[in-house]
Amino acid sequence: MIKPVPSLCTGCRICEMVCSLAHEGSIAPKRSRIRIHSDWPEEEKILICVACEPRKCIEVCPEGALSWDGYLRIDEEKCTGCLLCREACPYAGIHTETSKKFPFFCDTCQGEFQCIKWCPTKAVVKVG
Amino acid sequence: MKFEFNGYAGRILEIDLTQGKVERTSLDWDLASKYIGGKGFAAKYLYDHLPQGCDPFGPENLLIFATGPLTGTLAPGSGRCIVSTKSPATGYWLDANCGGFFGPEMKMAGLDALIIRGKAPSPVMLLVDDKEVHLRDASDLWRKDTLSTHQWIKKQLGEEFRVACIGEAGEKRVRFANIISEARAFGRGGAGAVMGSKNLKAIAIRGHHPITIANPEYFMTICREAFNEMAIHPDSGGGRQKYGTNTILSCMNEAGVHPVRNFQKGIFQGRSAVNEEGIQEFYIRNKACYGCPIYCSKISEVREGKYKGAFVEGPEYENVWSFGAQCENTDIPAIIHAEYLCDLYGLDAISTGNVIGFLMECMEKEVLEERDLGFPLRFGDDEGIIRMIHLIGQREESAFLWGEGVKRIAKEIGKGSESFAIHVKGLEMPAYDPRGSTGIALAYATSDRGACHLRSWPIGAELLSADERIDPFSIEFKAEFVKSQQDLFTVINSSVTCLFTIFSLSLRHMVQFLHSVTGIESFSSPEEVLGIGERTNNLVRLFNLREGLTMKEDSLPIRFLTEPLKEGPCRGRVVDLETMLKEYYFVRGWDEEGRPKLETLKKLGLIEKER
Repeated sequence: MIKPVPSLCTGCRICEMVCSLAHEGSIAPKRSRIRIHSDWPEEEKILICVACEPRKCIEVCPEGALSWDGYLRIDEEKCTGCLLCREACPYAGIHTETSKKFPFFCDTCQGEFQCIKWCPTKAVVKVG
Repeated sequence: MKFEFNGYAGRILEIDLTQGKVERTSLDWDLASKYIGGKGFAAKYLYDHLPQGCDPFGPENLLIFATGPLTGTLAPGSGRCIVSTKSPATGYWLDANCGGFFGPEMKMAGLDALIIRGKAPSPVMLLVDDKEVHLRDASDLWRKDTLSTHQWIKKQLGEEFRVACIGEAGEKRVRFANIISEARAFGRGGAGAVMGSKNLKAIAIRGHHPITIANPEYFMTICREAFNEMAIHPDSGGGRQKYGTNTILSCMNEAGVHPVRNFQKGIFQGRSAVNEEGIQEFYIRNKACYGCPIYCSKISEVREGKYKGAFVEGPEYENVWSFGAQCENTDIPAIIHAEYLCDLYGLDAISTGNVIGFLMECMEKEVLEERDLGFPLRFGDDEGIIRMIHLIGQREESAFLWGEGVKRIAKEIGKGSESFAIHVKGLEMPAYDPRGSTGIALAYATSDRGACHLRSWPIGAELLSADERIDPFSIEFKAEFVKSQQDLFTVINSSVTCLFTIFSLSLRHMVQFLHSVTGIESFSSPEEVLGIGERTNNLVRLFNLREGLTMKEDSLPIRFLTEPLKEGPCRGRVVDLETMLKEYYFVRGWDEEGRPKLETLKKLGLIEKER
């Protein structure tokens, strides 16, 4: 899974761009499943699902819409968009965007991890 | 022809601050294919719409923010956009370029350009939240420094907003005030003062529009290749990552072109302390602009001593010079504090250091007295530098003149001070002595915005490249070199990406990026793309000529033409500008007085702009 190393993050957002290119086919950082948070002069934070355990997101979902199979999956039939999962995530790894009805999060790019491939400083690395 | 706006947002927003009116227009195909974006857009728009001879501080002046088709994309260094206006420093063309995150956010808010005219009756901020555009009262923000302004806006509106704002210097129309975005600046030439003259304190932008790419798979492939090339290049993957722009400090000093005491000398004896290693001790982390693998920005902090608490994204080479060698100051914490204050006041650090060094020489030569400044200002006086920055930034009546820039100060005080007022066309000079680089001499003299190292940077090729034909003392090839580099840099400033990528990439990469992002067929031709740079530079020249520029101002301060350097590798040298300038006009297709010839304008498709 992905391990963020925020001390190496320069805040360049290349991860956000390649993530959105991989999933949306366009450059849309706010729809990226990995998000860099910065508020000058604060240091950057890397916000992504790190596959933690226990998975509070799954536990708190009142509809049972979330499950785990190698990565977090969502059943959009069941999801009501209540966003309790987002609130429960200790890593702020569950994201939303105005144009999207459902929350979204890292799906590992079929194990290809585009963000890891492109990060110029190795501020996101693969572990396990 | 159907124009799908790949790379572009497709929309231009025009704001009239006097009437509070907002108008949206669509980007037109012809503009995009003839000028790319950024600087090219602004050149076309200013040329067509700015009334001749207008007062830079008058409501009729325009302030144009423009992105280009590569802004916000995966093309390396895509975090940039430009602002363009008639400069209050020169009275001529100005485009100032800023990194960080403002440009990409503009694009994602659906804007290729934001054109601001008029003057608000009272201080306002402009809020753009996707399609929503509002002017808000900003009385509470007036007099706030740039960091407090950012923090106030983000607290009120949300952290996702990106901000460009002015500080006190812009409000008070200091002629070298910058527009600041987070820790970066639209630098040089006084765009911040123009924004202040319009009563516009800040612009806050947020957008959710995706940026579409004409050929995403191919684009990703060539970006991947470019990233790989940059990672192993000694500049982008080496010195610039390690030291930031300070990577050239020792090199410039050893070449004898690192100006000391207001360009009286070219070697800084204090360099044993003020070199890249010395500066590096203050770096606490790396920072990158949006989309950049180089991360040349370094965050520096002063942790102890009288300047404790100062922190900057920098200090950059130019500012290490302007508050270091230029003022013969060896105190690095003072340099960091000086840049920190410039950011807060929204002052251009190159021009500010120039003004201070100039005033120091005025004191040295007894052109000014203690009572003129209110205190004794001597070379090497770090506390004097800091005191002057406060005086310039706050610009009380008694210190008004110091905010006018060296050209106007010298004119006002006279007594021979014009001979050491170091500027071209009214813009103060950056950190390279033209007596040791014929290339930079020509670059300064012919730059569209006055003494500038970012319209062409031949000194890099002269001192750092292996190409022996490019000799720093020879005038051979310089006209051709400067001309073609100016055209290439204008392509980059129109696209808009960072100039620092071009030291490891090339025109070939720019063409590949532009073509695969936009799908515009003519962008697949290097000749066509470079021709757009040439077209834009000629249009800007026509703009400057219309504003009254003559060849007399394509010149250098008299110091460089008559006073030889006294030591180091450039000992005994002065600049032979006249020969190079003649050649430059010739290769540009301009007449002997520096005016584009009819046939040149015809060739560039500018014929309808006949003088």
